[in-house]
Amino acid sequence: MSQTTNYYVSRRQQNWSRNQNTTRFQSAVKLGPVAHTVLVALMIIVLGLIYVTQATRTTGYDYEAQKIDSQIAAYNQQKGELEVENARLTALETVKNSSVAKAMTTPSNTQYVQE
Amino acid sequence: MKSELLTGSRTRILAGAILAIAAVFVVRLFYLQIVQHGHYVELAQTEQVKRERLPATRGEIYALNGDSPVKVVLNETVYTVFVDPVVILESGEANAIATVMKEVAGGNLRDKFEDKLVVKDSRYQIIATRVTRTQAEKIKAKKLSGIGFQAVSQRVYPEGQLASQVLGFVNAEGVGNYGLEGYMNDELSGVDGRLETVTDVSDVPLTIGDRNIRVAAKDGKNIVMTIDRTIQSRVEQALADGVKRSNATNASVIVMDPNSGHVMAMANAPTYSPAEYYNVSDGAVFNNGTISAPYEPGSDVKTYTMATAIDKGVAKATDTYNNTDHIKIADRTISNSTLGHTGVISFQTALTWSLNTGFVTLAQRLGNGTEITKTARDTMYEYFHDRLGLGQLTGIELANEQKGIVISPDEADGNAVRYSNMAFGQGLDATMVQVATGFSAIINGGNFYKPTVINGYVDGEGAYQKLADPQPQKQGVIKATTSEAIKEMTHIARSSFNGIDKAGYYVGGKTGTSQVIKDGVYSEDETIATYLGYGGSDIDHPEYVIMVSIHGDHRILGGSTDAMPIFTDISNWMLDYLKIQPKG
Repeated sequence: MSQTTNYYVSRRQQNWSRNQNTTRFQSAVKLGPVAHTVLVALMIIVLGLIYVTQATRTTGYDYEAQKIDSQIAAYNQQKGELEVENARLTALETVKNSSVAKAMTTPSNTQYVQE
Repeated sequence: MKSELLTGSRTRILAGAILAIAAVFVVRLFYLQIVQHGHYVELAQTEQVKRERLPATRGEIYALNGDSPVKVVLNETVYTVFVDPVVILESGEANAIATVMKEVAGGNLRDKFEDKLVVKDSRYQIIATRVTRTQAEKIKAKKLSGIGFQAVSQRVYPEGQLASQVLGFVNAEGVGNYGLEGYMNDELSGVDGRLETVTDVSDVPLTIGDRNIRVAAKDGKNIVMTIDRTIQSRVEQALADGVKRSNATNASVIVMDPNSGHVMAMANAPTYSPAEYYNVSDGAVFNNGTISAPYEPGSDVKTYTMATAIDKGVAKATDTYNNTDHIKIADRTISNSTLGHTGVISFQTALTWSLNTGFVTLAQRLGNGTEITKTARDTMYEYFHDRLGLGQLTGIELANEQKGIVISPDEADGNAVRYSNMAFGQGLDATMVQVATGFSAIINGGNFYKPTVINGYVDGEGAYQKLADPQPQKQGVIKATTSEAIKEMTHIARSSFNGIDKAGYYVGGKTGTSQVIKDGVYSEDETIATYLGYGGSDIDHPEYVIMVSIHGDHRILGGSTDAMPIFTDISNWMLDYLKIQPKG
């Protein structure tokens, strides 16, 4: 058996204006102490799960970041190797021994334009 | 009814025992968690937190190719291949590893590497070094057990031996030795970064935890040298040809821009490959003779004496003296190397024929006219040492620069005999870079520039940041008129060797042949031949200074016969390379 106690509350306290509907809903479902405890426990579990999910997600990003870092390092290494190869191919000794250089001749005469 | 444990009952005893055990736990937990808290936190962090050094990339070195920088020292990642013989024994893959390694990395394998695969009681044996990434990938693809790779950064020299003594090398510990690598080691090394983070079992850094630290590495500076690789290459070729021609044992050349102090080339013979510095048997080859080997420069210094005398107003090129081929100073008699030009001759003739008596006479005229007085010695010291930098470190950015020595007249050894010798380049020790730098000031109108091998830097984005044009360290070290006179005198001296220079250019120089001190006395069968000169379109525009030195064990080499041809070879080529237009 339920029991209802009515207290007088002024309109000002209720923030209700004149001519507004003043009917208040009152649920018939009542929660006991066990249900409260279960609900609180559930809320804690849900919050815990959210935390675990987020933490795992962050760790997942770490693995992604690590993978990208490795890729960057590998590309940098490849870039370095290409630069070394480029430097070797454009080195003076290589250029001197090229067929183009070997085909060059020393000019017999040089003319200068007077400034 | 109120329930109570009865005194002495078993339940009460059990309760007491449980309480006692609980108390032990509480006390132990208090000790572990409160008293020893810091200790265990530290242990846990040691286990969970990984501390890594983030290595800074060593700066690369560029030379000039005309006006553009080109890389002459680069970094390359290579791998050291190691094995765990215990794992190999378990997997039984020793033969497979040996086969793959021979196929892929034959030239990089250590001697008897097969034996290392089966060494007992060892978990780490190196079987190959300097394996490239491509080779490493091929080996990894075989998925063999007990084999590992350690990445190592090494220097690469695409130009081979070019400018090796200027560059220096980086040893196995990553430290620069000799040359630019040695002098600029701190700037080239950069500063390593630091990573402290919680990692998983695979050492992947995780963002959990509040004590993660990441300090990024600061890479080393990329240095652009003033050395022009084309000039350097040509100079090295000319030097090698000269050494062969004269059957010499060692030689050096320095090429400078007299109007900035920029060193355009610096070469030595013999040389070495910096990529294989560890194969060098004689460490002396690492030294750069132009900065590390002070010697008695000989007659090249006569240009200094002449400049001093003209600047002080005690002589001109056309002034005369009576040459008797010998001159007495205190108890010593100084003679000319070239005899026969006796009688009243001009100082121009004395310079052209490199007559010692003429320059001793100039030293006397700096005094009272007949003696090399303290005033004369002070004047010579001021010009040679203070103004023109002989016997002083130049500050060039290369390791192991030597100072040499010019004895002050305030010292007991700084007497008239010594200064009479100094007048023709003996009795003092100077390096080639000092002599060339001072001579640059003499022919550029009197501005003394610090010699430098650094032209600028390349930033992280690859942009070339050229340094501002250098300003003279000292101005007016000699008068402009003196400078003109010396240029003309050396041009006349050089012109006595007909037809060696390209027509229409203004080239001057002075030979030097200095005696070598061996066991405290001047050797009779060994000399150092030198040549010091300049070239340009006309007298007002000297574009380069070249100094050559050549020496052979137990060989008498001459400045005009052995050093000058090397100068001429380089000088005539430089006129074309620098696109200097003839005006003569």
